[in-house]
Amino acid sequence: MTKGVLLFCFDTPDFQYHKILEKCVALIKKNLRLQITVVTDFETFKNIKPLGFVHYKFIEPELGNKKHGLEWRNVDRHMAYELSPYDTTLVIDIDYFPFTDNLIQFLDTGYDFLISKDAHDLTNRNSFDTKRSSMIDMVWATVFVFKKGKKAKRIFNMVKYVKDYYAYFLDLYRIRDRRFRNDYAFAIALEQANGMITYDTMPMKLPTLPLDCRVLQMDEQGLAWQYNDQVNYTRGQDVHVLNKEVANV
Amino acid sequence: MDIGELKKQSEISYDIAVAKRNALEKAHARQVVVYNQHIFRADAETINLVKTLSESQTSPLLMLDMNNNPVEIPDPNEFLKILIERNQEAISSYLQMSKTFEKRGD
Repeated sequence: MTKGVLLFCFDTPDFQYHKILEKCVALIKKNLRLQITVVTDFETFKNIKPLGFVHYKFIEPELGNKKHGLEWRNVDRHMAYELSPYDTTLVIDIDYFPFTDNLIQFLDTGYDFLISKDAHDLTNRNSFDTKRSSMIDMVWATVFVFKKGKKAKRIFNMVKYVKDYYAYFLDLYRIRDRRFRNDYAFAIALEQANGMITYDTMPMKLPTLPLDCRVLQMDEQGLAWQYNDQVNYTRGQDVHVLNKEVANV
Repeated sequence: MDIGELKKQSEISYDIAVAKRNALEKAHARQVVVYNQHIFRADAETINLVKTLSESQTSPLLMLDMNNNPVEIPDPNEFLKILIERNQEAISSYLQMSKTFEKRGD
């Protein structure tokens, strides 16, 4: 049984995502010690510094999605099943920095698909617990694990279907954010694929730094951030950083 | 009353509260244990349950994982050892962090 990490990375005219990838890969190698496959395009690949033993898969990213008016190349996550060379795959966003080995054990469960429903706001403002208007629980597609087989394949097929009829599903589940977000696409697909009742989850809150936090410093143990005039830090704890300026730290 | 000093203490208290909450979340994340292909939390409740069941019946013992799926635990003593180790590792890290809070609050 092969196990590995699958990452998606595409530079845009506004952000050099490959710099974030480089930080993430270093931490995966240090803390998770798993094989790594990066899904990218040739333009991005040319900018990535040598990362040692890493596999690459090249695709042309689907364009057209935007976030805050800027190009956002996030639409290809539904292809993770086909693109992964592993029997069991950990998919993580490149802006999720694994400062611990906490995630590795989730590759050894009997579950076919695991994803988290919760995030922990590291600034203590509970900014991810806002009252929702949607009719279903949201998930964080930032981190998920799947084991190749009928059940995972069915979930990914459903994600593709949801993506094709995305506007309809947003209306059906009263989701007001009209951008394509993997979080919503997977939440809807899991709801549909699991008979609209319930499904198994990864029981952990993803530690997350909101968009308005600026990362001041980062090393292999953790990072420090600033929010307004508050400076704080964390060490030995995974962190999902929403502010893409972390690329330049 | 020195309002400047009070404001400074209030800000320190806020910083400590944020750091404490993050340290607690860090401990909770570390308490998650995968055993026998199922997911558990190495908290007081799980430890107490495993210890109580293992003392009151012969193995294997049956319990629910964190997704409420039933699991057979073939070796409760081994499982209990893992749970206690992980629990103490997580709390020890939290304790170290809490000592730095005390220094900051002095």
